[in-house]
Amino acid sequence: MIAIEYYLVLGAALFAVGVYGVLVRRNAVLILMSIELMLQAVNINLLAFSTYLIPRGDTEQHLGFIFAIFVITIAAAEVGLALGIVLRIYRNRSSVNVDELNRMKW
Amino acid sequence: MSEAGAIGLQWAWLAPAACIGAFGALALPALLRRNLPRSGVLLAVGAIGFSFVLFWFLLNSLLNGAQRDFTVSWFDAGGDAFDLGLTIDPVAMVMMGVITFVSLLVQIYSLGYMRGESRLAWYFAVHSLFAASMLGLVLTNSLLVLYVGWELVGICSYLLIGFWYERRSAAEAAKKAFITTRIGDVGLLVGILLLYYKLDTFHIPTILSEVQAGALSDGVMTLSAILIFLGAMGKSAQFPLHVWLPDAMEGPTPVSALIHAATMVVAGVYFVARMLPLFEAAPAVSELVIAIGLVTAVMGATMALTSNDLKRVLAYSTVSQIGFMILALGHGALAAAMFHLATHALFKALLFLGAGNVLHAIGEHSDVDIRRLGGLRARMPVTSVVFIIAALALSGIPPLSGFWSKDEILQAIWNNGNPATLVITIVAFFLSALYMTRLVWLVFFGKLKPENQSAHEAPAVMTGPIALLGVLTLVFGFTAPDWLDNVLSLPGEATGFASFVLDKADSFHEHVVLAAISSVVALAGIAFGLALYRHDLKLPEGVDRALAPVRTLASNKYYLDDAYQWAIDRVVLATGAATAWFDRYVVNDTGVDGSGKITALTSRVLRRHQTGQVSNYILVISAGALIFVVAITLAA
Amino acid sequence: MTTVLVFFLILAAMTMIGAIGTVTARNVVHAALFLILSLLAVAGLFVLLLAEFLAIVQVLIYGGAITILLLFALMLTRARESTLKLDNNQRVIAFLATGAIFAALTVIFLLSDWPDPIQDPQRPGFTGIAEVLFQQWAIPFEVASLVLLIALIGAIVISRPGPEE
Repeated sequence: MIAIEYYLVLGAALFAVGVYGVLVRRNAVLILMSIELMLQAVNINLLAFSTYLIPRGDTEQHLGFIFAIFVITIAAAEVGLALGIVLRIYRNRSSVNVDELNRMKW
Repeated sequence: MSEAGAIGLQWAWLAPAACIGAFGALALPALLRRNLPRSGVLLAVGAIGFSFVLFWFLLNSLLNGAQRDFTVSWFDAGGDAFDLGLTIDPVAMVMMGVITFVSLLVQIYSLGYMRGESRLAWYFAVHSLFAASMLGLVLTNSLLVLYVGWELVGICSYLLIGFWYERRSAAEAAKKAFITTRIGDVGLLVGILLLYYKLDTFHIPTILSEVQAGALSDGVMTLSAILIFLGAMGKSAQFPLHVWLPDAMEGPTPVSALIHAATMVVAGVYFVARMLPLFEAAPAVSELVIAIGLVTAVMGATMALTSNDLKRVLAYSTVSQIGFMILALGHGALAAAMFHLATHALFKALLFLGAGNVLHAIGEHSDVDIRRLGGLRARMPVTSVVFIIAALALSGIPPLSGFWSKDEILQAIWNNGNPATLVITIVAFFLSALYMTRLVWLVFFGKLKPENQSAHEAPAVMTGPIALLGVLTLVFGFTAPDWLDNVLSLPGEATGFASFVLDKADSFHEHVVLAAISSVVALAGIAFGLALYRHDLKLPEGVDRALAPVRTLASNKYYLDDAYQWAIDRVVLATGAATAWFDRYVVNDTGVDGSGKITALTSRVLRRHQTGQVSNYILVISAGALIFVVAITLAA
Repeated sequence: MTTVLVFFLILAAMTMIGAIGTVTARNVVHAALFLILSLLAVAGLFVLLLAEFLAIVQVLIYGGAITILLLFALMLTRARESTLKLDNNQRVIAFLATGAIFAALTVIFLLSDWPDPIQDPQRPGFTGIAEVLFQQWAIPFEVASLVLLIALIGAIVISRPGPEE
């Protein structure tokens, strides 16, 4: 087994890249993809913690796995709903650029 | 008067309540622009008639020694209790009699005088409100309620002076009356609050007993007495706040008779009489009261002599006569003041109503130059006879009522005052006789002017009340002397007016020499007047020239109105303009607008941060999260 | 250098290439394909972390369903026809912020005092996960399914054309 820090640093890098994508992308669908990247980073961390830190026979056996499953579930729901919203916006505004969705200011 | 007919004095509240009811019944339709049947105004007359009947029952109870002081709790505010209460003492009883009686007669008179007015219901509604608030003012024992009544009669006065508000002069006069009396009312309010602050009660008998027990320092007593007297000066048209009363003659003549001769203007006298122990405890204020009364009496008399307007002559005469009452109170002569108040109410109401008959006869409402009149005696027999009776009473001819009351005032000055005051008062009496002679002669004698050929006597509904007043003017004076008791052998100790008012076996002390002097002075005034106006007596040139400045001064109302106008134009308006400028450009622009502008300016800068770009927001959120994480780590 | 480390480095490199490609690609479809690469690499990492079941789920749901959904969205919104720039103008500051986040997290991770890794970690296996999921976590599991159902209905309601369209 390699050290846990490998996974953690990879997770941090993946998360940072996802944040960068959210910050710079204009297309709502691309922003959603970046969010998926951030969720992946979270999942890597959860699994790493679960595998490396929970001793055999602990009452919270496989907790990280369970969390990861829920994250994937919620991510699926989120993507479905968000894409519905994106389609709706596109139909109303003929654009999915978030910097054009700036009516709610001042 | 039997015990069986006696009712508790607490039922006095029914009188103002009935009048308030009449006010509501009349005012509501008037405000809703619904027309009551014309006979609806009889409600008001009925209410005041009821009050007048009630007065006799209450008088009976009072003479039988019923309980006088009643208090019910009104409301509690914080730790302070405010009470409603009645104190029916003889002074209040005199006022109640005057108010109910004169109000009743004037309202009956108004049925004729105001016939055909479009706002008749409103007129009688305000009359009812006036009667109610005036009764409340005199019957209450709470300074707070008294102040409320005080302001309400002021409002009624305002409404009735401005009854013909289509006329600009009437509207202006109403404003002038209201604002001028308000100046005094401010003093009254501060005085009342000062007493409340020091004594923690509005209950008048308590305040007076505290004053007599020496609970107040001299300074507070002097100050509160001055402030209260200021209110009385405004309401009772004393120098230098008398200027509103002559202008108040713009109102309908019955209003002048009721409010501006018999009742409201003597509210100040009544209030000073009520608070007399306070004034007696502050001798300096008594001196002030005497001075004001004296100046007013003389000044009013001279202005009455030089005025040419029928009603204004009477108004100045009222000013002067109230000056006498104030003068009497300054000498502590409560009974004399109240007696003159009562007799004056009778004959001055009569004079005004008589003047109303004259105006009615020539088809005018006000502003009649008496030099245009003349010879109306033949056309108006009843009016002229009772008018002359009242004029003689005012002049102080024995045995009419005015003689007795004036005599009592002289008596009081003789006993307690200094000789100079006495002499000046006698001069003022002389002037009273002179100006009444002038008025009577110019209006009722001489040749009838062609434009007045159609003059005619008033209908019975108008001559009836003044005839009744004339009879009372003739006989009311006989309640003064205590020999009445001896002659008529009435039961009880003493039934003279003085013992009634003072509430103890006392009487006026007729002083034969003084009575003779005042009679002679009155007769001399009348004779001099007749000589001047009937026989066109020319004064010696030197005297005439010496009097010229006085005449100019008096006919210009001592330039007081001009002085006030100047003060208003130059001082009040200038100060107002400066204050308005300060408010607009300093307070408003920097203070009020300034804070708003700062907000707007800041927001104009800060709102740039709200770009509406989600990316920007997320960036800030990320930075915040980063700072948070770092901070937590460092803290750990 | 152990075999595991070699595999890890390869998969990590694939993950990062895919991720960076996703956020920098100038073509939206390329971005989606980079994302698939990244997701598959993460699935490989899951295997390294002894979670075969999650690796399969990852491939099925992410690699299959979600990516397909994203591609459909790109197609329906005609994202490829757009000539506009895909990035906004805060790239530099975003890069700095992201770098700071990465630096902060890395420093925290490396400086933290981790307990010694378990030398013989438990491999949950399909049965093990099923037992935990359906016994200990049954109620959250059902709630999650409800959430999915509601999200499904919500998505349909939101994206369905209104009466005016």
